[in-house]
Amino acid sequence: MTEIRWHSRAGQGAVTGAKSLGDIVATTGKEVQAFALYGSAKRGAALRAYNRIDDKPIINHAKFMRPDYVLVIDPALAYTDDITLNDKESTKYIVTTHLSKEELIAGIPALQGKEDRVYVVDCVQISLDEIGRSIPNAPMLGAFVKISGMFELDYFLENMKRVLKKFPQKIIDGNMRAITRAYNEVK
Amino acid sequence: MPQDLKLKAAQKRGIHQLGGDELVGWDEVTQGVILTSFEGDASDIAHKKAEERNYSDFNSYTATVAPWRVIKPVFNRDICIDCQNCWVWCPDSSIISRDKQMLGIDYDHCKGCEVCSQVCPTNPKSLLMFSEYEELDVALSQWPEKKKKEKK
Amino acid sequence: MPKEKFELNEREVWDGNYAASQAMRQAQVDVMAAYPITPSTPIVENYGSYVANGYVDGEFVMVESEHAAMSACVGASAAGGRVATATSSQGFALMVEVLYQASGMRLPIVLNVVNRALASPLNVRGDHSDMYLGRDSGWIQLDAYNAQEAYDLALCAFRIGENHSVRLPVMVHQDGFVTSHTAQNVYPLSDEEAYNFVGDFKPVDDMLDFSRPVTYGAQTEEDWHFEHKAKQHKALMDSRKVIDEVFAEFKKLSGREYKRVESYMMEDAEVAIVALGTTVETARVAAMELREKEGIKAGVVSPRVFRPFPFDLIRDALENVKAVGVMDRSSPGGAMGALFNEVSAALYTTPNRPLVSNYIYGLGGRDCSVEDLKEVFRDQKANADAGHITTPIQQFSGLRGPKLGFFETKRS
Repeated sequence: MTEIRWHSRAGQGAVTGAKSLGDIVATTGKEVQAFALYGSAKRGAALRAYNRIDDKPIINHAKFMRPDYVLVIDPALAYTDDITLNDKESTKYIVTTHLSKEELIAGIPALQGKEDRVYVVDCVQISLDEIGRSIPNAPMLGAFVKISGMFELDYFLENMKRVLKKFPQKIIDGNMRAITRAYNEVK
Repeated sequence: MPQDLKLKAAQKRGIHQLGGDELVGWDEVTQGVILTSFEGDASDIAHKKAEERNYSDFNSYTATVAPWRVIKPVFNRDICIDCQNCWVWCPDSSIISRDKQMLGIDYDHCKGCEVCSQVCPTNPKSLLMFSEYEELDVALSQWPEKKKKEKK
Repeated sequence: MPKEKFELNEREVWDGNYAASQAMRQAQVDVMAAYPITPSTPIVENYGSYVANGYVDGEFVMVESEHAAMSACVGASAAGGRVATATSSQGFALMVEVLYQASGMRLPIVLNVVNRALASPLNVRGDHSDMYLGRDSGWIQLDAYNAQEAYDLALCAFRIGENHSVRLPVMVHQDGFVTSHTAQNVYPLSDEEAYNFVGDFKPVDDMLDFSRPVTYGAQTEEDWHFEHKAKQHKALMDSRKVIDEVFAEFKKLSGREYKRVESYMMEDAEVAIVALGTTVETARVAAMELREKEGIKAGVVSPRVFRPFPFDLIRDALENVKAVGVMDRSSPGGAMGALFNEVSAALYTTPNRPLVSNYIYGLGGRDCSVEDLKEVFRDQKANADAGHITTPIQQFSGLRGPKLGFFETKRS
């Protein structure tokens, strides 16, 4: 079982991101779960979204998890939310930030000592550049694809096109560029 | 003029993240889910300015939504005509105005919705949106010139 | 027939709401009257979009309240249409008056109930307060533990309720957010398979049959009321046979098996949990892990059909265990939990009379983890070993603050 926790604000697309990831993982024949723990259900409020991925049907419906990956798509939440909650010795962190990894970790004591498991990428800037809006979910998926090694980038992009098929071509192209950029820029 | 007014409530208790409080047990929660807005006697509250009121921890005034912002409004005193339009329209009472004079923005409660900037009638606008990371003096130095009316 | 064909994959990733709405589309519901409420909103929202986009040849009726929604459903059903809607919590509470009208008039309406807590305090998350509020309303109540089941049981609901020997309204329950907003792998039937399984709606005493005008909603006093209610109760009890038949047919079609009472690892179980909703599946994880790691012979028993209550099947499933923890996800309001009371009554009629204790848990969406459920199993193991209930008979699981419990076993 692989477990993923997203830290986000309502409107940044973590729920959509988690569901898109679930959708694509399911095409590989695995069983998935994607859900969210909503805050005050208002745009801008902090929320957490979750994925579970396994080879057999997932029947654990608890929100409690010890995540293998923590994906932080809001820069401020890295500081204000408890992103290391219930983590493991092997938990990997991918954090959206305009700072360098060293600068980020210097400001977040909970991440200190976990340097080899922390990755940074500026999903906000990438989504502003490529999609024209601050919706950092798609670039975070690109970074996750790279760090997890769960998919080939091309396979993921092809399937993401299918997930996004109802959107205008311009939006789809922007998402493809954002995912690819984050895949290449995460470090 | 101070751009970033410090609120008394914030100074007193340290303004907190919405929903980030310590959680008490069933034996300590209030009866009937009653929440008090102020500490102590509040009978003269209408005559006090917001920053002078004794807001309780239950009051949303002591909670901040500042981290929700991606962009923030910046106020330019030199252009403002104190028309109060932004004060009327702000959905979060985050325009601080005293005696019909615009003082600045309450950045603890502003969510960056841009309504104030949209309704500002001056030319150029006295309220403009900048990246949350932009320093205020840098933002002010980038203020646009007055737009000339286009001839028809 | 609908103008447009909906494209479906063999494997979809759907949440419970979407799954339920797809079942409404495939059953080609004629009328859905609704007043959307969190967390069930997407069910009616999706049906509305299926109508607007030509995927269903039906009517979506916007009304001014849930009371009006169920009233319009009653009208449409009496007129002779296939009728369904969805609600939760406060909306369900507002519907209650009309729920009794629907069952009393024997109208086979399908109601998707996405379980949510009742205010006050206001809360949008899942518990079983609304499901329990419906338990005496004369409706059949089916309980889904995940999104796949919300889909499957919604299809079964039409077949069961519309059966002419049943003719009763049916609720399909799913847990708010934990099922309704959790996407998972769902394997839908094709439109043809699904519709053929549900079948054409065959009206009874429909008001649009002008050759045979009828009156619905007549008044009865002490001279008639009792007999009508007795006949209705008999129909509800007798629906058990039809439910079994429909489940058997559904298994033939889909390969997925449903029973009125589901048992998990009960063959040699010494202790058991009885629960409803998603907790059933999480408890299965706990039982499996306890067997592997702690050698506790744990099992899980769960009503798939909450009404008619499977009194005999619950008894059969549990009579040989030593201790049972019954989980109620609804504030009991000054009594023992309703599921506890009903399970206890069933077990009282067995020679062994296992020890039964009650856990109130998960109110307002409070998380119920595998570890929480393991604790309940461990309590039961301690009770089984001691031969009596070692804790208060009613306890609160997952509650902050000092331990809260009521009543002790009377010994000697």
